[in-house]
Amino acid sequence: MLAAEARPAGRLRRGLTEPLLPFAALALLAVAAAAADQVVMCWASVGALAGYSLSGSV
Amino acid sequence: MLFSPGWRAPVRQSQVLAVFSLGLLLGGTLSATVLWLLSGLAAPVPGPVRTGAILTVGVLGVAREAGWVRIPMPQNARQIPQEVLRYRVRRGALQFGFELGTGVRTFVSASAPYVVALGLLLAHQGPVTTILTGTGFGVGRAVTATVRYASRHDEWDDRRVTRMPLVANGIGVTVLAALALLLLR
Repeated sequence: MLAAEARPAGRLRRGLTEPLLPFAALALLAVAAAAADQVVMCWASVGALAGYSLSGSV
Repeated sequence: MLFSPGWRAPVRQSQVLAVFSLGLLLGGTLSATVLWLLSGLAAPVPGPVRTGAILTVGVLGVAREAGWVRIPMPQNARQIPQEVLRYRVRRGALQFGFELGTGVRTFVSASAPYVVALGLLLAHQGPVTTILTGTGFGVGRAVTATVRYASRHDEWDDRRVTRMPLVANGIGVTVLAALALLLLR
């Protein structure tokens, strides 16, 4: 039997952990908050996007 | 490393993720608090000038990310030493997360953090908005670790590397669009 890390990830898990998904969700949130004049939410989601842009950078 | 499927330490990986994420949030919050204090210096500048400057910075951020212009930005060009994780895993993960969360202790490989930091300095928002933006920065960094952990597969790193150019450029454009929409209304 293959070790966990050697088995291919399931299709659902792979889809839910797609690296583009957090970007899409945060981008939608930032623009929607800006359009709704939700200042705090807009800045906070822009901050989150900035954090996510450093993905993998240590 | 911290969240790879090959974890062998005697501490549960989910605990390490929680402590690491807490550190990221605290680090981002601290940096934003400093930015809020400094942003008072921009207060005497007229609002339209500050808005123009923020959007100019946003445009330059997009151009820099796309490689159209070369603008050297200050960064602490070194990695956080691995020793912080060697002896006390939980405390080390907290420290590691905190240092990463501040955004000033290691490499900054994208333009968006500079745009947001300069935007906060120039916009001189209230303390809640500024500080929560820093907390949001920590959340954004924690998302990477959480999704990496949830993927339970090393192949996720390859997907991340493949998607990063699109993500980094997309984030640059989105930050500019969101701030333009917010500030020009």
